Amino acid sequence: MRDGDLARSRLTVFFRLILAIPHFVWLTLWGIAAFVVAFILWLAVLIEGKAPENLHDFVAGYVRYATHVASYVLLAANPYPGFRGAPGYAIDVEIDPPVRQGRWAGFFRLILALPALLLASALGGGFSSGSPGQSSSVSWSSGGGEHAAWFAVSAGGAASAAAFLAWFAILARGSAPRGLRDLTAFAIGYGAQAGGYLLLLTPRYPTSDPRFAQPYADLPEHPVRIVVTDDLERPRLTVFFRVFLAIPHLVWLMLWSVAAFFAAIAAWFFGLAAGRIPQPLHRFLAAYVRYATHVIAFLYVVGRRFPGFTGRAGAYGIDVEIDPPTNQSRWTMLFRLILALPALILGGALGGVAIVVGFLGWWYALVRGRMPEGLRNLGTSCLRYSAQTYAYLGLLTDRYPYAAPVLEGRPEPIPDPEPVVIIGDAF
Amino acid sequence: MLLFPTAVPDDLSLPAVAVDRTFGAELVDDARRYERFFYVTWILAQIALLATLWVYARRGAAFTRESSAGPIGTGMLLGMLGLGIAWLVLMPFRIAAHWWERRNDQSDLDYLSWVFADWAVLAAEFVSICIALLIVMGLARWLGERWWLPGAAVFVGIAALFNFVAPYLDYTTDPLRDKALLAAAQRYEGELGLPSIPIRVEKVSADTDQANAYAYGFGPTRRVVFWDTILQEPFSNGEQRVVLAHELAHHSQTHLPEGIGWFALFAVPGAWILMRTTRRRGGMGAPEAIPLALLVVVVFQLVTTPVANTISRRMEAEADWKALQVTRDPKSLEGLMVEFSKTGLGDPDPPVWSQLLLGTHPSLADRVAMARAWAAQSEP
Repeated sequence: MRDGDLARSRLTVFFRLILAIPHFVWLTLWGIAAFVVAFILWLAVLIEGKAPENLHDFVAGYVRYATHVASYVLLAANPYPGFRGAPGYAIDVEIDPPVRQGRWAGFFRLILALPALLLASALGGGFSSGSPGQSSSVSWSSGGGEHAAWFAVSAGGAASAAAFLAWFAILARGSAPRGLRDLTAFAIGYGAQAGGYLLLLTPRYPTSDPRFAQPYADLPEHPVRIVVTDDLERPRLTVFFRVFLAIPHLVWLMLWSVAAFFAAIAAWFFGLAAGRIPQPLHRFLAAYVRYATHVIAFLYVVGRRFPGFTGRAGAYGIDVEIDPPTNQSRWTMLFRLILALPALILGGALGGVAIVVGFLGWWYALVRGRMPEGLRNLGTSCLRYSAQTYAYLGLLTDRYPYAAPVLEGRPEPIPDPEPVVIIGDAF
Repeated sequence: MLLFPTAVPDDLSLPAVAVDRTFGAELVDDARRYERFFYVTWILAQIALLATLWVYARRGAAFTRESSAGPIGTGMLLGMLGLGIAWLVLMPFRIAAHWWERRNDQSDLDYLSWVFADWAVLAAEFVSICIALLIVMGLARWLGERWWLPGAAVFVGIAALFNFVAPYLDYTTDPLRDKALLAAAQRYEGELGLPSIPIRVEKVSADTDQANAYAYGFGPTRRVVFWDTILQEPFSNGEQRVVLAHELAHHSQTHLPEGIGWFALFAVPGAWILMRTTRRRGGMGAPEAIPLALLVVVVFQLVTTPVANTISRRMEAEADWKALQVTRDPKSLEGLMVEFSKTGLGDPDPPVWSQLLLGTHPSLADRVAMARAWAAQSEP
């Protein structure tokens, strides 16, 4: 990402989809050609173990162009992209030159890429492709001067939800919310890696670790924070029966949700009257948010251990810290349900991502006995957003949930971030 | 004894039944071959289950590391894992049994539907064991070693409650519409001293050709349920009436409340044994004791099975006798048993050990013998 500017032209944003029609047509035509060339790349990898440079560049150019178009359509970037996929666009991907690839991994590439494509689809950034510059890694640039590629095929998912919400926000404010923009950029980045892997531009598997988004995405201080003290080991037996083991928790969570619903209504009345919610209600609702996070983390294999039933702070490896009650604006409390709707929409989309994380993590952990760190962190990030959303809805805080897929906060953003090289880890 | 009276005369002498002539030699051979497979898989499954739970009892406590919950939550985890392991170990035997049923046209359920049904059963078992452990461990942590008496009482109460409310939870049956059978039900209810009892039908014919009926509930929730397979060919009207009378007799002889009484008699010593055997692992309040507790429960159930089956067979025999008294149709009862053998490939005269361990009903041959004994007794 080389454009930190969040300012957007309201007029071009309003007509964004229509303005992108020529790009869609060109992208389709180029895409057909790129897939034909990718087939030749596949044959070349099987025979030679390496893709010819000119063909590699052709596919990489297509992926780069698709990245630009997706960034433009999903409102992650403002300038109208060029039709040649030339490097230098506001959101770009860097693709390394071809390197040697394993023939077996090349032969089964379509099957091997399926998990990454599934996750890319849930993220809504489509899939993208990068190629190795050094040590055959996929690079996603956040500095100037690098090239990159991306290839969008999916219209749904978290990025689309973020773009939908950003559209309204931009029309109202004239600038994109930073968290939504960073989420979209992250999804596009992951899609770029997935596409690069699928189209044989790189042998490195995509990584979904949100830590790689942190150099450009910033997590402001928030009263609701996720704390990870868990390890990545996952005993296969508890993984195999994970859904069934969660049943008592899901039953208890359902019962607790009923009580939390009425507690939230009581908190609303108290909050409107006093300007802050009473400590006992805050404690009860905070425990509920923590417990829900523990349970979902366990269910989706993001957490290792069987959680407790009380939502006690610090009791679980994927925990939520919630600050004590503070004074809140009565106006925002009065309209809290309406104000929370955008967060609930995005939370729903990220919930879809979390389900895919759980599904893929379940299979991976069953085979390997551990959870991929990138996948675990992405799931944790989704849970963090969910916890912040429900804390906001339950009047535990008046700070709006922050959409960027990052885990640890940093008070100040980096003004001129350096390029980040993403090294492939499973998912 | 209060729980042991029966309407079957004590001096009733059952005549010998030539099973080959009554059921047909070919059918008997087929049924024996069919049942033999289940005997073998049952024995192997029990050995595998006991061995697995023995290992789990020794090593299962290590899974406490996988819990961030308190003692009761951790106990739930260990209980569920134990069930899950047992389920996995028994899976090959269940698959084999289902394959055998399909091969012998005893089940039309495809493997995918069977797997889903199996998962649903496992989920229900997980919920059940969590509730059971919540009660036992909660009481054990509160009352110490004295938990076993109130614990047994709570389980008896739950069993009674479940039996009572289960008919209200039924959404899979429809009312019986056969007017002749409904008229017969009214007549039998009068003779058995019963109020009007709802008769319902469960549709199972898409999945199996086997025939069955059952009585459940007690007091105001009493019901009789027919599988729709028994309301079709080859069962005659007379045979259907015998089935109806048999199920109504279960209600008139208060077999379901008696069953709860028997459960209480088993539950109290069972809970006491559980308390004693888990003492060295910290008692039932400690999660480390749960793997051992699972083994103890399974062994206790296995050991008491012959007694429980004897009680069950006695009740079934009494229901047959009462059915004969109200239908006065021993030929239909005999014909019904032959049809049961044909449709379910049931061995008419199974080995004694299998009746002891698996026989919840008298053998088909014994039921035919009872019909003949009743006929002989009723002849002028």
